[in-house]
Amino acid sequence: MITSRLLAAVSLSLVLTGCANLQDVRDFAGESAKLSAYTELTTRFRDTYQREQPYLSGPVEQQAQANDKRRRDAYPDLLKIHHGVALYMQTLATLAGDDAFDLSPAMDSLTSGIKAYPEGGIDSRQVDAYASMARIVAKWMTSAAQEKAVREMVMEGDPSVQAILDGMAALVSYYRKTNDNERKAVLGFLEVELAFAGAPKDKLLAALGKAHLQAKIREYQVADARYGEAEAGIASIKEGHKALARNVDNLSSAEAKAQIKKLTKDIKAIRSNLQAASAY
Amino acid sequence: MALANATQIVDFADALTRSADSIHDRLLTAIRNNEVDHPTAQMIFQDESILRQRANGLYIDAASCVVAGLDEAQKSVIDLVDTANARMRKIKEMAQLIDLVADLLLLATATYAAKPRPIIAALKEVRRDVEALTGKA
Repeated sequence: MITSRLLAAVSLSLVLTGCANLQDVRDFAGESAKLSAYTELTTRFRDTYQREQPYLSGPVEQQAQANDKRRRDAYPDLLKIHHGVALYMQTLATLAGDDAFDLSPAMDSLTSGIKAYPEGGIDSRQVDAYASMARIVAKWMTSAAQEKAVREMVMEGDPSVQAILDGMAALVSYYRKTNDNERKAVLGFLEVELAFAGAPKDKLLAALGKAHLQAKIREYQVADARYGEAEAGIASIKEGHKALARNVDNLSSAEAKAQIKKLTKDIKAIRSNLQAASAY
Repeated sequence: MALANATQIVDFADALTRSADSIHDRLLTAIRNNEVDHPTAQMIFQDESILRQRANGLYIDAASCVVAGLDEAQKSVIDLVDTANARMRKIKEMAQLIDLVADLLLLATATYAAKPRPIIAALKEVRRDVEALTGKA
């Protein structure tokens, strides 16, 4: 029948223009948690003065206070950078999700509405046949629209996403360097003072000081590890998005075959539905 | 480009940090060899600490540089998010329109049967659909 050949041609062209690997996109977008260390370290950066203050005095403390104010002022903008990229990943996940482009629930309710209308003059079996065809065609059309939307978002987004992640990596390195200076200032102070606490009257002070020094060393070891984790997380997301932009068009041959098989099955279903509908 | 400027600032800050590190090593050696008394050691340590604070100040400058340079990229990403939301909203509106048609059919059926309760229920559904479509829901 001419109609079914036309239908097949239309569906095929829709499928081929729309192809995108949605599962890869969903998997990637779920990784946004890898960026959470950045927010934690941004807060730690802001609170540097709080931690180093007990060990400072004189002009050093004044300079530290000035730094503190500037860090607090910069803090909202530093967080905003993370917010932008996290929102992008979240939206991408929703866009590529199962529900975003699904019209079947609405179409099902329409089918029941049509069936319930007695004056419609359409036999219930005809309604089912038309409904099945409409559902299949709508699925392929919205599928193509979805894949096109996802593909466009990923490809247009890649340069900006890479730039933002590069920026975040640079910022984490500045946080790490700031932390290094904080650690050396705190531990250095304790080292220098403890070196002069050798007199018998200073025994208690020396003991307390040494215990405190050891506790501080451990504290900084724990914090130091977080910077490495943050850097690794950012690098992973960078690579992931680059791979998406490269491959979002390429279905593997197995996936392409599966798509074509499904299309063939659906065309057959449409054809049999057309016959059922025109039988009455 | 902003990253390049930031890098220059950071290089200078790193140099200050390295100077502070050298002073610290020298100070520890001096203390071990009894070359300095307590007040002198404290003075030298203050010099070292000032360098560290200045370096940290420069790292803040570099951070501000990076943030300013990301303005365009940030806007771009937000635009993409808005576009995606608009596309998803369009599909949702299509679904709501189809729901409206389905409920209109049910209203027609109820009216045909001429029983008041189904008519009122169907009318309520239609009104809800219209509100959802026009964004009042």
